[in-house]
Amino acid sequence: MSHAIAKWIFWVGTLVSLGLFLALTVDTRGQFAALTHADKLDDHVVAGKRAFQARNCNDCHTILGFGAYYAPDLTRVVARMGEDSIRRRLEHPEVAFADSYRKMPQQHLGQQEIEDIVAYLRWVGNIDNHDWPPQDSPNRWKRSTERVMAGAALSPAAALVQQENCLSCHTLGGSGESKGPRFEWIGARRDAAYIARYLADPEKVAPGAQMPSFESLSQEQREMIGEFIVSLAAQGR
Amino acid sequence: MTYKSQSIAYPYFVLALLLFALQVLMGLWLASNYFTTVPQSVVNVFPFATARAMHTNLLVLWLLLGFMGATFYLVPEETGTELAWPKMAIAQLALLAATGVTALVGFFFGWTKGRPLLEIPFPLNLLIVVGALMFLANVAVTMFRAKRWTAVQGSLLGGLVFLALMYLFGVPFYRNAAEDWYYWWWVIHLWVEGAWELITAALTAFVLIKLTGVDRKVVEKWLYVELGLFLFTGIAGTGHHYYWLGAPKYWLWVGGVFSALEPFPILLMLVDTWRDVRHRSQPVRPRLTWVYLVGMVILHFIGAGLFGFAHTLPQINYYTHGSQVTLSHGHLAFFGAYVLMNLTFFYFAIPRIKGYPDGTYDERTGHLGFWLMSLGVVGMGLGFGVAGVLQTYLERIQGQPYMLAQQPIRFWMLVVALHGLLVLVGALLAIRHLLTLKPARPGQA
Repeated sequence: MSHAIAKWIFWVGTLVSLGLFLALTVDTRGQFAALTHADKLDDHVVAGKRAFQARNCNDCHTILGFGAYYAPDLTRVVARMGEDSIRRRLEHPEVAFADSYRKMPQQHLGQQEIEDIVAYLRWVGNIDNHDWPPQDSPNRWKRSTERVMAGAALSPAAALVQQENCLSCHTLGGSGESKGPRFEWIGARRDAAYIARYLADPEKVAPGAQMPSFESLSQEQREMIGEFIVSLAAQGR
Repeated sequence: MTYKSQSIAYPYFVLALLLFALQVLMGLWLASNYFTTVPQSVVNVFPFATARAMHTNLLVLWLLLGFMGATFYLVPEETGTELAWPKMAIAQLALLAATGVTALVGFFFGWTKGRPLLEIPFPLNLLIVVGALMFLANVAVTMFRAKRWTAVQGSLLGGLVFLALMYLFGVPFYRNAAEDWYYWWWVIHLWVEGAWELITAALTAFVLIKLTGVDRKVVEKWLYVELGLFLFTGIAGTGHHYYWLGAPKYWLWVGGVFSALEPFPILLMLVDTWRDVRHRSQPVRPRLTWVYLVGMVILHFIGAGLFGFAHTLPQINYYTHGSQVTLSHGHLAFFGAYVLMNLTFFYFAIPRIKGYPDGTYDERTGHLGFWLMSLGVVGMGLGFGVAGVLQTYLERIQGQPYMLAQQPIRFWMLVVALHGLLVLVGALLAIRHLLTLKPARPGQA
């Protein structure tokens, strides 16, 4: 190879790649508004992003998969554990993680700051990012739950869940609300006895929790619901 | 050393080495956070996040100071003139050192921009820009005045300007998180897989010419090809970071195809180095400098090329993205490519700055430092790799909640930390060796 050809390789290689990259950047910028639902990106959300950065959350957590890997990804945290659980962790991490082998710093956030961060996380959770991350993929939740529900839909526990209106706060598969954590996530982390105790007196197990008490149910019914939720734990999704 | 102003490189090297030691220490603390339980009272004051900001910023700071020192050593010799403004080079070092220390202390008190790796707050960004402008002006004016252009100079200056330009994209606040990350990668990716590769290629070519005595024409011809391939694969290869951030789907194709080619320029660099070493017209002396040079091109290829390729295709990356797998690649690549590049240059330049004949020096303890460090980092890379594969399987495929899936990983982070200890000992040996370099003992050379 001659010197001249080497120079050619340099210029052609560089300019082709640069040209393609810049052209696609222009196109991507045009598509961001739709893909990220920029119309919902209000000052509240931006204030949340600022707070998220000011507290350096991203040097422990990942979001959209970027950041540090010391704590769970936050891309779809609202869909995973609900807004109320997020508020509780932001307000009193020392209580929420008292039994955990990994702690989150108590940064004394104000109420407004907490609401802003929740708004920011809610907005991020709706970004159309080709169904990442797999562990919180709504499609996968739906599929794995449908499999389980096919056999369990007629169980007495499922009837109780319906009767007590659990899905007006919690999510299960593709249905329900994101105030509290989704059932599959609870089921994977807790046992039936714990869930039964929680149902009886949420405030006692998780101080500051917004969930009402289900004392009206019998102990047996509460355990039944617990077993049902544990059976929903995602396995081999 | 032929020119007086080349010795300005030395204080840059000294500061870089001290920061390197701090960086490794901070890394050990981070690893310990994974397998021990740090009490809430400590976490409140010194959370993982703060230590991580320090660890990564120390890395960037010392590598850049090393590159700057190396540039100040190289430019007078390549241009055949003294540096344009030697005193400004010293002032620049003082400015950047003060800015860096302020940033590190600031992190401890929560003064941060909160964007990973780019945490340094806005007012300090401005000081860094001033420092960078002083640096670029000094280098560019020296080169333009001398008008003795070589491919090495061109590549170096191009890489440095490219580096400085990209830094600007990391300065503003972005309202939209997706857009934020889009440009975040213009700094991070286009640095390490663009600008820094240009600088590394230029420095390597320079050291090869001086060390092996191979004809400059041959080295520079292949330098053009390396640079062309680096930029061809690297620029559009940025797309491998755009898969899951809310960008259009075509990035899965563009990122996948171009980044799959990214190992080739690194392989070419390995082959070129190997060929130059074989066709050397000078004896392999001092041995340790050659060990570093060859170690660098090999670990650069393994860490950046192979471990990068392993998780760059979207089908795999869907499961590994944002997991400990990234750490495995990150540590091996930064060490192989940029830590060893800097240390190679230090071993090449310091004996010459000190005026030892033929650039030789007393090599004792230096070899041990290299091997402890390199084996330690390889062990760390494998430990992170096992942790990452476990996390990928347990959390992303099985569907276990994050903290449950982290349990078995804690053991592997202990394995990482133990190898980190080797790295610490090796790094301290290498640093002490470099800072107290002595002429070769009679009869050794």
